[in-house]
Formats: sequence, C-alpha cells, structure tokens
Amino acid sequence: MEDATHHAAWQDWLQRYGPRLLLCARQWTRSRADAEDVVQEAFVRYWRHQRALPGDPMALMVTSVRRAAFDLARRDDRRAARDGRAGMAEDPVCAFECALDGQERRAAVEDAVGRLPAEQREVLVLKIWGELTFEQIAAALELSPHTVASRYRYALNSLRTELAAADCHGR
Amino acid sequence: MDDDLIQLEAELQRLQPAPLSAALTRRIATDLGASPAATSAPIYRLWSWIALPAAAAMAALLVQLAESRLAREPALSAAPTGEVGVVVAGDEAPYRPVAAENVLVAARDEGLVTLDDGTPARRRRLHFVDTITWRDPRTNASITWSLPREEVRVVPVAFQ
Repeated sequence: MEDATHHAAWQDWLQRYGPRLLLCARQWTRSRADAEDVVQEAFVRYWRHQRALPGDPMALMVTSVRRAAFDLARRDDRRAARDGRAGMAEDPVCAFECALDGQERRAAVEDAVGRLPAEQREVLVLKIWGELTFEQIAAALELSPHTVASRYRYALNSLRTELAAADCHGR
Repeated sequence: MDDDLIQLEAELQRLQPAPLSAALTRRIATDLGASPAATSAPIYRLWSWIALPAAAAMAALLVQLAESRLAREPALSAAPTGEVGVVVAGDEAPYRPVAAENVLVAARDEGLVTLDDGTPARRRRLHFVDTITWRDPRTNASITWSLPREEVRVVPVAFQ
C-alpha cells in the first residue's frame, strides 16, 4: 500500500513539474538527451534524499538540475578534450506543445526564445515556465534579484522586437 | 512594464513545455523502484549519520589495503605480466577524500525551551547538505556524495 502511494506520489509530482524541469535543464545542456539525463539524476536524488528539506520544491529542483547539468558539461568537456574533438553541436533549446492559436506563431516564438542570449533566456525560462520568483531565480543562478529582473525585461523586449520583425516578414 | 510586454508575457505562459517522454519516466521508475525510496525521512536521517563516517572509513581502509598490498607484493605489481598486474592494482582504486563542505540550506528558530534543570534555552533546527568528494589521482576520476543532514542546537539563554 505504501509502495503504491509512494509510486503515485512521485508520478503526480513528475507529471506536474517534469516538463518544466526538462525545459529548464535544456538551458544548460547541449541536447534533449543530456537534459533528460540531468532531470533523471536530479529528480531521483531529490525524491530519495531531499524531500524532507524545507522550501519550494521547484526552486530546490532547479538548483539541483543546474548543478547536475554543469557536472555533465564538465565531464563532456574533459572527454572531448581527451578524444581531441570539438564540442557537440547544440540542439534547439526550446520544446513546447502546440498550445498557441497557430503553429507558425508558436514556431516564431520558439525560434525567438532560442535566439535570445543564454543569460537572458535562462532567466526567462525560469520565470515563465519554471514559475520561480526573481528572488528564487537569483538564488539559483547566484545573481542579485536586480540583475535577474533586468535580464528578464531585456529578454521580453528582445522577444517583442524579434516577433514584430517576424510579423513584418509575412508570418 | 507596458501593455505589450504584459500581453507577450501572457502569450508565453500559454505556451506549455512538451511532456516528458515515456522512456524518461520509465527510467526514473526503474531508479526509484530499485532503491529504498519509501524509507521515511527520520530513518533516512539516522542512516545518514551512520553512513557518512562509515563510507569515509571504508574509503580509508581501501586506500590502506591497496598501499599495504603494493608494499608486500612489489614483484607482482612490477611483473612483466602486464595486464594482469594492472588489473589487480586497479581493482582497489585509491580514491582519496579531497573536499568536504557543509552548506546550510535552512535554519528555523523554534523558540525558547526549558531544559531538565530549569535552564531556559533557545532551540534552533538547521538543515545542511554535506558534500564529500573523493578522487582517484591516477585517472582524475571523482566521486561526489551529497547528503542532507538535520541538526538541532540548544543554546542556554542568559537574561541580563
């Protein structure tokens, strides 16, 4: 009985937060496969050992995912250096369900988000889809809340400009 | 923020991240199913107190064993049997603890309590994450172990 309850609990949690975590993980990884590895590592660690910790689980998970992503990147870099090959090509960063009115608009938004500078994009993703506060983002990224809020505003402004240009070109 | 940006923000919020793949969910289920994940938090905390020093002692023991074995059997290690010697030495990877840190993630003041002898004291509950890193100097491979830890501090209060 306890096992069944436990199983349902983590599945509910993963269903609710998993897609957002995966999107956050993709900001710090080179491919969707890497992002899935990182989410798996962080989620299992959280569920086994960190559930008792106080605070917002999503904020804790984001920090854990980011750390796991950086560890993976360091391992990959060392392996690439040993093998004498360059870094892997990056996959597109965002992956969304088709929830907007038109597929073209969704693609335009996704494309524009993907072309944002990385430091703006990670703040935007953590705020919009991670649903974290500026303070929580600041803690996760080790920045000041003021810097985080500025990057968020820059990101929205850049997106507005990009999407307006895309509209002008007939999308 | 102006209206345009607020509208854009709302549009972005309507865009939902793609769901997780079934393969990822299966992998996580396998990981959690094969582990003692249902263990309750208090029992886990108790084990964390025991497991941490035990792991450190085990690592130290392995290092000592490897060194004493190499000292006793220099001929075997240096023997031109090549691969066999390397495998034997490699079985006992000399991981050494190279870093340890305690990160305080939360602290809660639980207020005043009275000790058995009537002394007033303040009780604080602290949550740490302890991280220990071991490294194999030969290959530079490392193992990092992070464990949550709860600590209760009772500090006598002096009223002046």
